[in-house]
Amino acid sequence: MSPLTLLTMAFTLMLGTTITLMSTHWLLAWMGLEINTLAIIPLMIKQNHPRAVEATTKYFLIQATAATTLLFAATTNAWLTGAWEISQVMHPLPTIIITMALSLKMGLAPMHSWLPDVMQGLELKVGLVLATWQKLAPFSLLCQIPNSNFTILLGLTSIILGGWGGLNQTQLRKIMAYSSIAHLGWMLLVMQLLPSLSLMTLLVYIIMTFSLFNIFMINKTTNINSLSTSSMKVPVLTTLTPLILLSLGGLPPLTGFLPKWLILQEMIKQNFFMTATMAALSALLSLYFYLRLSYNMTFTIAPNTSTNTLSWRLNNKNIILPTATSMTMTLLMLPLLPLAAMPLF
Amino acid sequence: MIFTLMTFSFMFVLGLMGLTFYRTHLLSALLCLEGMMLSIFMAFSLWVLQMESDNFSTPPLLLLTFSACEASIGLALLIAIARTHGSDRINTLNLLQC
Repeated sequence: MSPLTLLTMAFTLMLGTTITLMSTHWLLAWMGLEINTLAIIPLMIKQNHPRAVEATTKYFLIQATAATTLLFAATTNAWLTGAWEISQVMHPLPTIIITMALSLKMGLAPMHSWLPDVMQGLELKVGLVLATWQKLAPFSLLCQIPNSNFTILLGLTSIILGGWGGLNQTQLRKIMAYSSIAHLGWMLLVMQLLPSLSLMTLLVYIIMTFSLFNIFMINKTTNINSLSTSSMKVPVLTTLTPLILLSLGGLPPLTGFLPKWLILQEMIKQNFFMTATMAALSALLSLYFYLRLSYNMTFTIAPNTSTNTLSWRLNNKNIILPTATSMTMTLLMLPLLPLAAMPLF
Repeated sequence: MIFTLMTFSFMFVLGLMGLTFYRTHLLSALLCLEGMMLSIFMAFSLWVLQMESDNFSTPPLLLLTFSACEASIGLALLIAIARTHGSDRINTLNLLQC
């Protein structure tokens, strides 16, 4: 793909999300989502092998269906109530349909099964875009429509199924897809109770996923097996990666702990005791596969010369600086986050 | 009013059910998507007629433009699938399963 085409597609991708973020009219929001989908498809199908083509086709069908359903629900809402604006009071039936369409777009639990398949067929960079940037537009729409307990239900299912699905996987991209499903579940839990906390969770998730995908890119691996030779290739990253994985799992001194902590606190404050307990226990499922990744990466092979065939040690210099920055943020940002979260309380 | 609402909802649901339950050819999935878009186009045009609002007369055209873009991407993907997988049957899309 020529750099000019790549640049155009990347800017169109950003433009689509921006249009959706800024829109107040349902038609404009839908147009932003469509531009977004149409722009990422050439990026996905760039390496022209059967798996990429299949992943792109699946992604296209799912996104087109979800966007059309969203527009249908908005139209029905307009016929029923006469209002096209996103923020206005909505009829309950279109609200449910829109929530389902948006969760199909993001890959939330009952409609999640396309996400691991699609992620598996993409290269790591596009997978990173799919796991982070593509969530922003549906997330902002979902924040703006009021529906009280339905999103909590969706969130809880996402946490449970996201943890459960990742248990037996050996492919890193599938594991990342399930991790994305579980994290989105955490965001949905507090979306109606405290939207700004939900936004902060999304930001922390994006930082953590960015650093983990960059580590995979530096290691040039896509499955668990080849992670274990990481200590021969990049020793420093090998020592830090378990910490990043534990930060994704949400262990205390690391950044990933803070969103989970605040979410549980907020849920308890609002008397959702059972939901909070179930969410906290289901996070253990996710923690299991993160721990398995770090076990295979760090603890199985002694750090001496291996007789295995190694891949070439040609490092990609370009992504060192962003990786270092995001890794530092992933590991050490916990004491700083209360400053960012100060307006919340 | 309720009659038009029911008509386009019924069209849309038929298209959606075709997309979800009739999974043999990719081409039929794309046709169902087009049918869904056209039902929404009908709703938009009828909204302009019913409300007699002139400033809502561009959205049907915008919708048609976007649905044409979407259809062209779908057909391009259909060709790509036919070239890499040999046919457009949906059950050949099973390379990425767990």
